Amino acid sequence: MITKGDKVLFFSIILLSFLIFAGFQVYGFAEGKTYVLIEVDGKLFQKISLGQTSPDLKITVPVKTGENVVEIEKDRVRMLFAQCPDEDCVRQGWISRPGQMIVCLPNKMVIKIQSDKSIKQDVDEIVY
Amino acid sequence: MQKHRKKIFLSLLVSFGSVLHFIENMIPVPFPVPGAKLGLANIMSLIAIAFYGLKEGLMVTVIRSIIGALLSGSFSSLLYSMTGGILSTVVMAFAYKHFKNVFSLVGISLLGGVTHNFAQVTVASLILSTFGLYVYLPFLMIIGLFTGLFTGLAAYFVKQNLETTFIQLDFFGEEQSNETK
Repeated sequence: MITKGDKVLFFSIILLSFLIFAGFQVYGFAEGKTYVLIEVDGKLFQKISLGQTSPDLKITVPVKTGENVVEIEKDRVRMLFAQCPDEDCVRQGWISRPGQMIVCLPNKMVIKIQSDKSIKQDVDEIVY
Repeated sequence: MQKHRKKIFLSLLVSFGSVLHFIENMIPVPFPVPGAKLGLANIMSLIAIAFYGLKEGLMVTVIRSIIGALLSGSFSSLLYSMTGGILSTVVMAFAYKHFKNVFSLVGISLLGGVTHNFAQVTVASLILSTFGLYVYLPFLMIIGLFTGLFTGLAAYFVKQNLETTFIQLDFFGEEQSNETK
């Protein structure tokens, strides 16, 4: 009674939903404000909102071995200068999407981009 | 007589569907996803499609949605269930007509469930004008897959049972000859 076509359909729907889910994970939410969070040693150092109107900034962050410099330009962020020996974080370049992050491991410094999940709050107010 | 039998059968399907819709609203959904539900009433649309076709399926779905909304009292949900119901019925009828050999009733029910979810999310995001609602689509699809499996199996057994009963009762066949006697 369950045909081969049914099974193929079943698994292709599972695959499709995972693809959509993955797509949202990669590209983040299209809406909502995004913030950049700079954390040093697990503690929040600064939280700056990103957007087309935000000014270009260079932020100096004191870390264990000296100072790192973070550059913010409109809606993207990068590590401009780091004191660590390998400078992986600098080579990573710009990040702009929610969920992305730059990590400077030797200095225990993290730059994260997050979005406020305003979409989810909207949804909770609907009465179905 | 044949015509009346069809009318009575379809109205029975509508009333069963409305009751299932009502009962379904009382069952709490264990998922925190808006719009997730069992879709038991879909069994009736599936049977209408299987025995008659697209037109009758649409009739059952539309009337059942209106009565269900009146029963549950939440008329705002009519928009969601109506668009989802119409679109999924059209897709299911098309699949039943053209891909009958590929999919059984279970597969057609799966297709209908996923289409229903998609239509619902689309309507909701048009109303709220945030396309971020599509985030919920994969979760709804996975839930819809399992509820669709269940409704499809239920519809399959109901259809088999009805078919044997109908053959015994001569539901579709030579009834008129008895009438004329």
